[in-house]
Amino acid sequence: MRTLISASIAAFATLLGSTAAMATDWTPPGPIKLAIAFAAGGGADTQARLIAEELETRHGWSIVPEQITGKGGMNLALAIKDEPNDGSVIGMVVTETLGYNMRAAEAGVTPADFTPIVTTAGFQMGIVSQASKGWNTFHDVIAAAKDGERIRFGVMSPKLADIAYLLGKRNGVDLNIIQVAGGRAVMNGVNAGDMDLGFMAGIQSKGVAAGDLVNLASALSTPLGQTPDAPLLSDLGVEFSADGYFVFIGPAGMPTEAGEALASAIAEVVRDESTKAGGVIRNSFGGPTVITGEELNALVNSDFENAGALLAAASE
Amino acid sequence: MGVFDYIRLGVLAVFGGPEMFSVLGVPISITLAMILFGFLLGIATGATPGLAGPVAMAISLPILISAFGFTPDALLPVMGFLIGVMKGATVGGAVPAILFNTPGTPDAFMTTLDGYPMARGGRAGKALRIAHFSSASGDTFSDVVLILCAPFLAILVESYLDLPEKTALLILSLAFISSVIGNSVGKGLISMGLGLFASFVGTGEDFYPRLSMGTQSLAGGFPVTTAVLGVLILGEVFKGIEDLRSERRSGAAPEPVMERGDQRLNRGDIGRLAPYIARSALIGTAIGALPGIGSTLAATLGYSLNRNRYERVKSTDDPAFGTGAPEGVAATEAANSSVSGANLIPVLSLGIPGNAAAVFLILAAESIGGFNPGPSVFRFSADTVNPELVIAFGLFTAMMLANLLNWTVGGVFMRSMGIMIRVPKHILLPIVLLLTLTAIYVQETRMEAMWFAIAFGVLGYFMRRLGMSPLPFVIAFLLGGKLEETARQAFAATGGDPFFLVTSPVAFAFIALSVGVIVFSLRRKKRAGA
Repeated sequence: MRTLISASIAAFATLLGSTAAMATDWTPPGPIKLAIAFAAGGGADTQARLIAEELETRHGWSIVPEQITGKGGMNLALAIKDEPNDGSVIGMVVTETLGYNMRAAEAGVTPADFTPIVTTAGFQMGIVSQASKGWNTFHDVIAAAKDGERIRFGVMSPKLADIAYLLGKRNGVDLNIIQVAGGRAVMNGVNAGDMDLGFMAGIQSKGVAAGDLVNLASALSTPLGQTPDAPLLSDLGVEFSADGYFVFIGPAGMPTEAGEALASAIAEVVRDESTKAGGVIRNSFGGPTVITGEELNALVNSDFENAGALLAAASE
Repeated sequence: MGVFDYIRLGVLAVFGGPEMFSVLGVPISITLAMILFGFLLGIATGATPGLAGPVAMAISLPILISAFGFTPDALLPVMGFLIGVMKGATVGGAVPAILFNTPGTPDAFMTTLDGYPMARGGRAGKALRIAHFSSASGDTFSDVVLILCAPFLAILVESYLDLPEKTALLILSLAFISSVIGNSVGKGLISMGLGLFASFVGTGEDFYPRLSMGTQSLAGGFPVTTAVLGVLILGEVFKGIEDLRSERRSGAAPEPVMERGDQRLNRGDIGRLAPYIARSALIGTAIGALPGIGSTLAATLGYSLNRNRYERVKSTDDPAFGTGAPEGVAATEAANSSVSGANLIPVLSLGIPGNAAAVFLILAAESIGGFNPGPSVFRFSADTVNPELVIAFGLFTAMMLANLLNWTVGGVFMRSMGIMIRVPKHILLPIVLLLTLTAIYVQETRMEAMWFAIAFGVLGYFMRRLGMSPLPFVIAFLLGGKLEETARQAFAATGGDPFFLVTSPVAFAFIALSVGVIVFSLRRKKRAGA
């Protein structure tokens, strides 16, 4: 009996060993198609393309980037859903795509139709206004709104529009919420005076450092790195947050060794600041955030579940 | 640090950068060389049917960034190159419009109206020279205005235009273009309506793609290049092929056009064209300073205002606008080129792009880092050096250098292009077709893009056969998304006021003008037709 057990352990160990070896030795069955859900030339697109370039140099893989933009990443998700799941088709979206957007779109897909691979960086999402407004925190905005000032609040996704609506509702004020396409459009709107304040996901860092812009609140569940004293959404009566990450995904049922090999290869690149990709992530997104495996699955699933609660709260 | 210190530092940054090579012992900085390379690429791109400056910028930006890296030292070479492309393409864009009647961009469409008849009449060389002279004059004027006014003008414009006013201004642009172009207001409005309709496919704020009929290929909407190049170029090619066939059938062998008469641009010509160029340059510069309206409106406005003036003063045997009037080429080229400098006013002072070329300049600045277009650029700090202001003056220097190239190298290039008119049509049309389809495929690497482009080409063909101008279609397609977006935002910003277009006096004036321009054109064209 003992020999049998030790034999099985040995066999199991060999099996494990071989899987681990496969994860490092995994090679894609052909060129990898990398779908990118962000407009060509922007910060997120540059990040994806530079990662692809570095993967090609390091591993000799061939990666073909392709733009599939629109509908908050849903166009990309639907386009890759039925593609081969052997690692030859992957895409870069934000976690919000698999969470709120997938929930709200009701397009017949759930996170279970996809394999989340790895995150690369998080958002430093703040609520930002021009310094010349004279506001220091979001509490000053509420006070101004109570004094009768019409406040225009720029957002770049329906999820953020819901959060902005709840911010107004919980604090007893009406906000005019303006939805635009992308964080840059919010920043343009705030700089041009078309909006009084808005969500910005890291793009504000240089303006804040120069003293032109102010982080009035953190839209994350944690304080902002640049303005740690800014109130959190929970301090303002809103129980939801805008936490989010850039994430690589593939179709459902991707073999573990393919997923792990891709995840570890991408993680190595984004953590290495000497690479161009690592440099962009440090400069534009405040450094890498690598989440993978079970932790990532749990994060994606809870985002999808919480989206229901946010939708319900905002439509009350 | 005074203004002049900053100017000196900016000029030095361009000339004194790292040396690339030396000519007769004079070191040539890498920035200077990049401006020249960019200019040559731009002029070649502009002169190729189906290609335009933004394409070249889009393709070269990632290559440049990986070559120069992410240090502030990379800013001037990379942006200098892009500025070179922008300038070169603006002047080169007139070449296919004049020689082959195939404008690479909507701006150059108006150039075809008089440039192509001139070329058919054996005066291709002259038309090219006029286009070059007007374009370079307009561009230089606009840059001077940019350099003098950038810090103040954009902020002034922006403070008068809120979201409802911007929506009304877009409506006015559409109303103006559809009623002024072509010979029928009704056809112009239909053309515009079709353009808006095409731009609404697959777009919108909802997660569910609009009008896609459940297909994945329509869910992303029509790519801009397929619609614009399809209608403008493929439509013209299809019509050209049909013309060729009917000419063969009727036995009239098409003769290649030879250049006849004096092709030079003499002092008398310049004196005669100068007032038209000056008017157009002013119009183009003023429109360029408005964020997001763009050069096509400038070209249209410059053309039609100058047409009215020309009709009053011309002698009876001068050709009318649209039949080969040199003044028409001058008016259009001066107007669309003078947009490019002024367009950088909102870019540099507010960080808001006015056209596609400006978008790539912002992208370059952002990807490299160390220069953030916006209000902070023009802070004249007394005690410390504001490095962004030095870069801004470096960019101005680069623009002036590119203008110098435009006047010299650009002129030689344009003069040498006249020979292309001798290429017979049955060789030219397939080449243009192939180049255009390739250009589209480079930008949209999927087979559906080809089908979309051909379908839009067929649409363009029928529009030409029905005497309907394709320009309102193209402009409406380009502005449709922006119109919807601004209207939504204006509605939200005013707290859901359904009458946001008529409550503010400025917006109301724009809307009244839109109705006015349609009614006025209807009556004028009816009179002209009667």
